[in-house]
Amino acid sequence: MAKIVATLGVAHAPGVTGWIDKAPQHEQDGVLAGYAQFQKLMDEVRPDVVIGIANDHLLNFSLDNIPDFCVGIGEQWAGPAPWFRDWLNVPDYTVRGHRDLGRALVRESAKAGINHAFADKLLFDDNWSVPLKFLFPRYDVRFVPIHMNPIVPPVPTAAHCYAVGETIARIVQAFPSDERVVIMGTGGLSHDPGGKDYFTVHEEFDRWFLALMEEGNADRVKRELTFEKLLTGGDGGAGELLAWVVAMGAAAVCGNARAETVFYVPSVPMRCGMGGVYWRLE
Amino acid sequence: MGIRDTDKTLPSNRMVFELRRDEQKYLAFKQDIEASMTAYALSEEEKRAWRDMDIEALGAMGVHPYFLPQISRLFKGGSRNHNDSDAARLYAEKMGIASQD
Repeated sequence: MAKIVATLGVAHAPGVTGWIDKAPQHEQDGVLAGYAQFQKLMDEVRPDVVIGIANDHLLNFSLDNIPDFCVGIGEQWAGPAPWFRDWLNVPDYTVRGHRDLGRALVRESAKAGINHAFADKLLFDDNWSVPLKFLFPRYDVRFVPIHMNPIVPPVPTAAHCYAVGETIARIVQAFPSDERVVIMGTGGLSHDPGGKDYFTVHEEFDRWFLALMEEGNADRVKRELTFEKLLTGGDGGAGELLAWVVAMGAAAVCGNARAETVFYVPSVPMRCGMGGVYWRLE
Repeated sequence: MGIRDTDKTLPSNRMVFELRRDEQKYLAFKQDIEASMTAYALSEEEKRAWRDMDIEALGAMGVHPYFLPQISRLFKGGSRNHNDSDAARLYAEKMGIASQD
């Protein structure tokens, strides 16, 4: 059976690839060292497959019909989408998909009472282009993107996201292959694209959230990480941290709900609380 | 004004959604904004806001907040989008907030 070897949550804000030179040196060093540490962790656990969960950013699903989650079941992915190329400053890339696993996630989640949309084609923006560049610079994994909706209310609850993660983990653990799998939530931490806090980072919120992930208490996450609470980390951005809750739910099924913080750098020039956490499972 | 105040059916939301996905439509928008606005059936109030690049007014009408900085990039370009870029400064000016590091 396939095996989950790690789960993680990490920021994907475009400033890190698009204009990091505008940040003070200590911020640049801290952020790049953080992503380098994630790459080292990935080199250690050597995943064959990465299942990603991140904000669709209203790129593939318009306001008339937005799924909570959509599983990409294509065999091949490419990015960044054309309009985002110069913004992201990430070279064009391709990465293999994993149709059999993607289909299993859709099919078996439905049996568990969770409805996922699915798609053969999806456009990628910063949601995958930033983390893939740093964590998998050779693009030598098979990738299953799951696009979610954390920004158009009503967004899925933390409890639902946790259950989605638990279910993904159980499906992977029953998947007939010997593949090593990483579950990667991307997005956050505090930022507010499109609000009054566009040039503000909420460090207190971020440190509260990182402590929540480190504690690994599912009941507390479900109780305290409300929609209203997420709004305080940036109206239109902090909801992306729900993707990290998916990764936490999956980690818990594998026996370790307590994350370790890999890095945290609040950066106004990058317009985001930059950081990431890691659930060690081996 | 925030994500809870979005008017999902506002025609401007459809226009922004498609301009970012379709290079031909973005090119047509750059060449003739009036034709694009008519094609998406924007109201007169929306059209006035687009002509003035009035991002805050578009937000108040119900454009999803995530689209608002993207509107600044539709006008000013997305490359090197740091806090002192033309797009970020347009956003700050129209939203009435300070763009600062």
